[in-house]
Amino acid sequence: MPLAPATKRNLVTSALVAPAAAWLFVFLVLPFIAILVFAFGERAPEGGYQAAFTFAQFANLGSRAAAFRNTMMIAPVGAFLCLIVAYPVAYFLAVKASPKYRLVLVSLVVVPFWTSLLVRTYAWMYILGSRGLPNLLDMVGISDVRMLNTPGAVLLGIVYGYLPLMIMPIYVSLEKLDLRLLEASADLGAKPLSTFFGITLPLSLPGVMTGTALVTILLLGEYLIPQLLGGGKVFFIGNALVDLFLQSRNWPFGSAIAVTLVAVVVLVLLVAMRIAWRFAGTRQVDLV
Amino acid sequence: MRALVSAVYLFLYAPIALVVLFSFNAGRNASEFTGFSTQWYGKALSNGFLTDALINSLIIAFTSATLAAVFGTMAALGMERLSPRARAVFDGLFAAAIVVPGVVIGIATLVALVEVFAFINPVLASLWPGERPPKIGLGYGSIIAAHGLFSMALVTMIVKARISSLGRDIVEASGDLYATPLTTFRQIVLPQILPSILAGFLLAFTFSFDDFIVAFFVAGSKTTLPMYVFASIRRGVTPEINAIATLVLVASLVMIVVARVLMRERKAKTAATE
Amino acid sequence: MSKDYKDSLPISASRFMEEFMRLKRGSVSRRHFLGVTGLGLAAAVIARVPGLQGGAAYAQDLGTQMSIATWPNYHDPATFEAFTAATGVAVEVNVFGSNEEMLAKLQAGASGWDLFVPTNYTISTYVKLGLIDELDIAKAPNFSPSTQNTRFTNEGMVDGKTYALPKNWGTTGFAVNTGKIKTPMTSWKDFFELAQTEADGRAMVHDYQLTTIGNALVSLGYSFNSIKPEELAKAEELLIKVKPHLYAINSDYQPSMRATDAWLTMCWTNDGAQLNRDMPEIAYILGKDGGEIWTDFYAIPKDAPNKAAGYALLNFLMDPAVAVKEHIANGAPTTDSRVIALLPAEITSNKIVYPDEAALTPLEFGAAVTLTDPGRAELMARFKSA
Repeated sequence: MPLAPATKRNLVTSALVAPAAAWLFVFLVLPFIAILVFAFGERAPEGGYQAAFTFAQFANLGSRAAAFRNTMMIAPVGAFLCLIVAYPVAYFLAVKASPKYRLVLVSLVVVPFWTSLLVRTYAWMYILGSRGLPNLLDMVGISDVRMLNTPGAVLLGIVYGYLPLMIMPIYVSLEKLDLRLLEASADLGAKPLSTFFGITLPLSLPGVMTGTALVTILLLGEYLIPQLLGGGKVFFIGNALVDLFLQSRNWPFGSAIAVTLVAVVVLVLLVAMRIAWRFAGTRQVDLV
Repeated sequence: MRALVSAVYLFLYAPIALVVLFSFNAGRNASEFTGFSTQWYGKALSNGFLTDALINSLIIAFTSATLAAVFGTMAALGMERLSPRARAVFDGLFAAAIVVPGVVIGIATLVALVEVFAFINPVLASLWPGERPPKIGLGYGSIIAAHGLFSMALVTMIVKARISSLGRDIVEASGDLYATPLTTFRQIVLPQILPSILAGFLLAFTFSFDDFIVAFFVAGSKTTLPMYVFASIRRGVTPEINAIATLVLVASLVMIVVARVLMRERKAKTAATE
Repeated sequence: MSKDYKDSLPISASRFMEEFMRLKRGSVSRRHFLGVTGLGLAAAVIARVPGLQGGAAYAQDLGTQMSIATWPNYHDPATFEAFTAATGVAVEVNVFGSNEEMLAKLQAGASGWDLFVPTNYTISTYVKLGLIDELDIAKAPNFSPSTQNTRFTNEGMVDGKTYALPKNWGTTGFAVNTGKIKTPMTSWKDFFELAQTEADGRAMVHDYQLTTIGNALVSLGYSFNSIKPEELAKAEELLIKVKPHLYAINSDYQPSMRATDAWLTMCWTNDGAQLNRDMPEIAYILGKDGGEIWTDFYAIPKDAPNKAAGYALLNFLMDPAVAVKEHIANGAPTTDSRVIALLPAEITSNKIVYPDEAALTPLEFGAAVTLTDPGRAELMARFKSA
């Protein structure tokens, strides 16, 4: 007996979304429920988790205030520095670069992604360590400069690691820019600066917003860069989290921090979207 | 402006140049260049742990990206047909899969799976007829699943964006001409969304291949390449690591060039037929 | 460990690429490729060639790979190379900076280790949690209980059963680069004072609660093992005051000390001996106000994937001829009189390795309770995230 068209349509739809739905449920919803439950539990005497119902873990969040504060400060500052470095590059690629080389230059921005970030960050450990730049400075008479394991080193690592992620969205939005607008503006007697602030910058804002939001959100969960370039001292919330699972074995408190971190991320995302809407007027802006 | 842009490129490539340079170091120390040698390439490729880690990473990246590409595309197509409310639920979950930090995904997956295994393994043991019941644990499966989550959301996002810009009239026309839905999909829809599926696959592969933090938690006794590199940083990096990183870089550059050439040929062909 | 690997390159790079391209084209088989390129080990893994396992002395199937979890700079790489040559089993070395980290990894399940190196005070907890099994001493015939110095080796036994065999003993003091720091130092009190003044930005503490908190407690006049909340609070106050002046919190301080990025660090005997051997300006000092004396052991995790290889390596390491080479290379004092008899005089008379009894008197063995005490665990985590 042939199926009714509506039934058949529903069956096809279900079949299409079922694998994704199952995956999302088992590996996103379920784990999140697990840490939510754990966050109300207690640390077992030898470490790990034991069932309980207590708000003690959330009450203890204050003891990681410094890590939250560091993260909430360094993430936006890092994203902003990224933006400052990325914008001229994106602008050059989209507007100034000769079309002949544009594709090559754009590819060159992405290529670093194919060398492990860990290996590249290790290279920075060498460059910033005594045998690297400080050694060169020593030759010109500036001795005992310390660069590695400082907040500056962590910021540098952040700008380095996330720069391509910032350049790409800005480049894409600038590329869509109608160059005739810039010509018209110049023909009408506008100075280059006012053309930039009056036309280029506003039109590239969606890319700027996307890049900044993307980098900030990814930075909130950063672990490796502060671990390798901060010497275990410049502490992100991601590091505090790993520590709770891999050293103090306090799964419930770790879960509470993880839940809080997710809440912070969602909050930042909402704020970013709100700002994006305001800047873009009534236009819809895709964040991804 | 040109000088500034050059400086940024220098900034991006100086560490990579250093990595490549030290891969040809004669000494065993990755922080003191003592002479030129290619010995570390041979050593890296005959180091079973390093090659195992590389193979693990390739298997995991390929599997998770493939599953993500297939299921993500299916989801993107299926979501079109859902009620607005169901679609909003999916949108929210996919967005969550993208923005929840990797460290949280890793930890949450670990916590959940440890509990699930603690429940399942005794049950399995009691049902098992033989002497030694199988024990499920962390490994390939858990890394692929955790990577696939993010990757699938990525693919869905990208493919959906493409679908929404797709012209509907041609699909309708195809139906009007009595093409079966499957034929319409294969001949009209798929060719148009294929580039975005491929882009999603590539991004997913790259993400999985370079991920450390998620695998760090859910890998069990398996080691991926980034985990091996991290462990090496702790026990002292030898130029073996630089050699492998250089090989991976060269391989990806070759793939980019090949892809470019293929695309150019295809473009030339389509231009010729038009 | 500046020693170069002696084995030469099995194949030239150009030849390798040539063979690789041939393989890609399909004109040679994979086995041929693996053969000519010297990827013998990879071939063994992929094809499970039994002939490659060698070592007739090991009747049992030991597989081709095993994994050990140990501490930074704690072994002579040549030891593992010799083991691989004798048995065909390649050894993967995983390095950890604290016992807590090892415990966390074992508690989460599936560590993948076949042998690991816990410290004396942790063994009773591993036994209690069922994470390690009683050792089958018969499988390590090179171990000789009668020649062990029981002052150091008692904690390998729990309830009369042997769960771990001793690796070596040692002390926790500090290493100071006397070329950079001129003030003489004798105590942990000096350590924490100079970390904030003359060694500002150049001092390191371990990423390890036992020693970092323990030595802070000692500098304040308390016991290394204290878990009293009011004493811990004082130690926390000190650590948080010192933290902004530190170079790093890391248990692998040798690279930083060698590069003179760091000038002062908490330090274990073996690292102190290695640093002093290569850079005589680095001195190793035991706190006259206290500190730690310890023994590290070898144990086999309950869920070890390759126990046979774990026992084989354990037995190999218990061989005095092997142990003496290890000792000379890594500088940690032995618990086995058979090994002492084989040592050259310059090692047995080295005061870093074998200090005078008087210097050891103020030191304490770590106490089991510090491993699981939530107060100490949380203090360390707070200190790191402050």
